[in-house]
Amino acid sequence: MALVRKDLLLELRSREVVPAMATFVLASFVLFRFALGGDRLGGGVRAATGLLWVAVVFTAMLGLSRAFASEREHRIWDGLLSTPVDRSALWLAKACSTFVFLVVMQAVALPLFWLFFLQEGRPPSIPVLVAALLLADAGIASLGAMLAGLASASHAREVLLPVLFLPFAVPLVLVGVQVTVATISPQTSAMDTLERLGFLGLYATIFALLGWALFEYVVED
Amino acid sequence: MSSSEAVRCSGLVRRFGERDALAGLDLAVADGEVVLLTGPNGAGKTTLLRVLATVLRPSAGSASLYGHALPGQAAPARRLVGYAGHEPLLYPLLTAAENLRLYSALHGSDGAEVESALEGVGMARRAGDRVEELSRGMRQRLSLARAMLHGPRLLLLDEPTSGLDDEGRGVLLTLLEQPGRTAVVATHEPDWFAGVAGRAVAIDRGRVAV
Repeated sequence: MALVRKDLLLELRSREVVPAMATFVLASFVLFRFALGGDRLGGGVRAATGLLWVAVVFTAMLGLSRAFASEREHRIWDGLLSTPVDRSALWLAKACSTFVFLVVMQAVALPLFWLFFLQEGRPPSIPVLVAALLLADAGIASLGAMLAGLASASHAREVLLPVLFLPFAVPLVLVGVQVTVATISPQTSAMDTLERLGFLGLYATIFALLGWALFEYVVED
Repeated sequence: MSSSEAVRCSGLVRRFGERDALAGLDLAVADGEVVLLTGPNGAGKTTLLRVLATVLRPSAGSASLYGHALPGQAAPARRLVGYAGHEPLLYPLLTAAENLRLYSALHGSDGAEVESALEGVGMARRAGDRVEELSRGMRQRLSLARAMLHGPRLLLLDEPTSGLDDEGRGVLLTLLEQPGRTAVVATHEPDWFAGVAGRAVAIDRGRVAV
C-alpha cells in the first residue's frame, strides 16, 4: 500500500500522467471524428465502439511509458531493490496505480465518447461497457506494469514498450469490441456477454499471475 | 564461512554485455571492519557495491553477506545491508519524511524511527520539505539517513563524500566511528577516511589490484 500511495501522491503533485492521457484520448476522438466521417461516422455505433477500444489501448500505452519514469530517471530502482520488499509487491503496486490512472482517464473519456459518437442510433449497454473496460483495465495494468518494467531497463524503451505491448493488446480490443457491440443487438444473449466478459477476466488473471511470478526476473538483471 | 565475516567474494564476475565490470574479484571483509575501495573510474567499485546491495546479480563466482549466498539468499541479506549510492535514491517530489516513511514501510517497519533518523542527520527541521527543494548536501545527508533507517549491520557507501556538506561529513564520520561499525566505502578521497578505515583495497579492471 505504501508504494501505491507513493505513486498516487507523485501523480497528484506532478500531474504528469493522467492529464496527458485525458488530453490524448480527447485528441484521438477529435481526430477520429473528423478523419472518419465528419458529423456522421461511417459504420455508425459499431465503428465508434472500435475506435473507443483502440483509443483506450493507445492511451494506456502512453501512461505505461511513464510508469517507471521516476524510478528510472533518479535511479531509485537501486534503493527499492536493496530493500527486503518482495519484487512481486513492486509489480503489484505499479499495476494498481496504473489501474487507477486508467479508470480516471476513462471517467473522462466515456462522456466525451458519448458526446462525439453516440448521439444517433442505439447505444451499447453502459453497464456492459463499464464492466468490459474495468476488466480490460485490470489486464492492461497487469501486463503493462510487467512490460513497462522490462522496457524501462532498455535504452530503446520508447520503441520496446509498444512493440511488446501492442501484440498482447489485440485480444483485448477484439473481445472488448465484440462484447460492447453485441449489446447493441437486442438478440444477444446474456450468456454470450458473460462469456466475453469472462475472457477479459481470464486475460487479466493470467497476466496478473505472470506479473507476480516473473517481475523479480524482470527487474533484477 | 565464519559468522564474523561480513562479506566474502570469490572469483566474482559481473558482465554487462561483452564487458566484464567485475572480472574474478576476491574480497573478504570482517564484521566490525571499515574497508575502503579505491581505484580509477570504471574500475568496478560501484558494480561491486551494487552486487553486494543485491541490486545486481553476479554473473559468475560467489558472493555472500554474513553467510547468506547471493542471489539465492538475498532476501535475508537485504535486512542486514544499508546502501547509499551515487544518487540519493529518493523521490524528488516527496518530502524528506515521506521518502523515509516509504523506505521504512519497505523494510517492514511502521515509520516510528523516521523522526530520529532525520534528527540524526540534522534534517528534522526540513522533514516537510520536498527533496527537490533541498541542497545537494542535504540530499546526501538524507540518503545516509535512508541507508541507516533499519539499523543495518553492514553499510555500503558509494562516494559518500561527493556533494556532502560539512555537517554531513561530520555525520558520516560519527557514523563510521561507531564501535563495531562494518562498512565498505568506495571513494576517491581515501585520505579523508584515514582515521576510521581499517584498510584500503585498490580495484582495477574488475579485480583487486595486487
